[in-house]
Amino acid sequence: MPTEQERGPRSAARDHVCRGYRRRGGFVAHAQEFLAEGLAAGERVLYVAPGDETALAGQLRADERCDEGLARGAVQVASVDATYATGDVVDPAGQVERYAAATSEALAAGFTGLRVAADATSLVRTAAQVDAFARYENLVDHYMAAHPMSAMCGYDVGELGGEVVAELACMHPRAVEGGTPFHLHGHARDGSAAALDGDLDLDSRRLWPLALERAGLRSEGSTIVIDATGLAFADHRSLVALATYAEQHAVTVVLRTRLATPARLVELLDLTSVRVERAA
Amino acid sequence: MSARGYDHAAVHYGGDQELLAVAVPFLEGGLAAGEPTLVSMEPERAELVRDALPPSARVEYLSTSDLYARPAAAIKSYRELLAGFVAGGAAGIRIFGEIPSAAIDTSWDWWARYESAVNHAYGEFPLRSMCAYDTRTTPRHVLDDVARTHPFVATAGGHHTNTGYVDPLSFLTDPRPMTRLPIEGTAPRAELADPRPSDARRAVLATAPVDLPAAEVDDLVLAVSEIVDNALRHGRPPVRVRIWAGAGQMVVSVHDAGPGPADPFAGLLPADRVVGGRGLWIAHQICSEVTLHRDETGFTARLAAGRPW
Repeated sequence: MPTEQERGPRSAARDHVCRGYRRRGGFVAHAQEFLAEGLAAGERVLYVAPGDETALAGQLRADERCDEGLARGAVQVASVDATYATGDVVDPAGQVERYAAATSEALAAGFTGLRVAADATSLVRTAAQVDAFARYENLVDHYMAAHPMSAMCGYDVGELGGEVVAELACMHPRAVEGGTPFHLHGHARDGSAAALDGDLDLDSRRLWPLALERAGLRSEGSTIVIDATGLAFADHRSLVALATYAEQHAVTVVLRTRLATPARLVELLDLTSVRVERAA
Repeated sequence: MSARGYDHAAVHYGGDQELLAVAVPFLEGGLAAGEPTLVSMEPERAELVRDALPPSARVEYLSTSDLYARPAAAIKSYRELLAGFVAGGAAGIRIFGEIPSAAIDTSWDWWARYESAVNHAYGEFPLRSMCAYDTRTTPRHVLDDVARTHPFVATAGGHHTNTGYVDPLSFLTDPRPMTRLPIEGTAPRAELADPRPSDARRAVLATAPVDLPAAEVDDLVLAVSEIVDNALRHGRPPVRVRIWAGAGQMVVSVHDAGPGPADPFAGLLPADRVVGGRGLWIAHQICSEVTLHRDETGFTARLAAGRPW
């Protein structure tokens, strides 16, 4: 989780957390807390969930900080049903543009940034929706890494299943009850195409190639640099999957890691499309 | 004398002169034929051979400390070396070698498998090699394995077919004894039932002795993760992991109820990348010893770091 807590307006920014939930009430309580933190930091906050807007505002009123925010116009609510038709597949770039515009509006209105708590369960009920939304989660994470926007994304684990939630959770820098052993996200240091944290092993076998494809990794020349400073373990199959990705996209992937074993594996397995560099 | 293909002969000797009586004509024959001619023996024996050859003899001496650290690494190095000679136009190659006595004494299991596997692993090369064993110091059970893994026996009197030779497919699938390491006589520091690979990695890290270098711990963590992964995917439950740790050493056994890998060369030769994993081969490349054992309860891979002997 982000520990970089500058004082004042910046404190709430650079936070993009995935929260899997089993009880809707539990998610609402966490959303209240998350949004209240944003209000305390001078942000405009937005709550997106199923139900009509009156009901959504009612959910937030239970928290007096949010109630006060509603009264002074710092809190906005949006009904997910009203915004999206059933079965809509999100347009990742278009959705990020909308949030970028909303962030700019918040800044223009004198707020320090935009903070969103969204229950996106109803937007990821089909495989096509999940695929597009995972790509969107990654794209918006890159936006949040560079702009004063933060978000908590809620997914109902009971309804969607752990595997689906993990596909979404792994595209966030942080997940609570998301069931993902790794995170491939946009909060990279040093201008890398992505950051990679956590463990790559048997428990990420299905997820890891999916995440790589969905992360839209930006190449410079024919090289993609991944900031893997937070990588705690990578087994040989994960590195073979990375090499396969690199070959299919005709690029070299540079993995910047503190670990010693990936370089050994790359050499032993002769994975010429992956280069391992030691991270400082 | 075979013109092409691998000619793998054992040499038994009881003294320096007996050794030289086989080695010198073999090496001189290679030099006379213009073949790349190599010796890989420990320094003292290599000097003995060097002194017995003419000063002008262009024999290449390989460092045994690098080459014979691990059999899977030896196979990888030798295959690269041999492929290089063939690419350079060599029609024949000769190697006179001897597995260091320390390796024989401490970790014969994987060297026995090496001696068998190379009949396959070097089969594509026009190689004649002789493996020397000192009958004064080599244990009986090792000589028995030598007799089953070398298709030829070389003596000062000539080159003979070895009637006791067993095909690698048979040798490598026959049950092999697993000699207990001393630390296995003590209580394990951790025992895990059906762990995920991440559970096993954490347990290894949590029990690592402070005097085992971090790089060796990291390698063991990787090897254990790969082997537990194999056991969960290819083996049969229950999977049991036991971890021993002591001064300068760690030993981890991973047992499952299945029959073990179907590929008799698993561990010593990498599986084809498209076919699947190479976990056992990686373990053989980075551990200080890997022992494989099959019995009526299932399959065990025992991995060691540091010096468990």
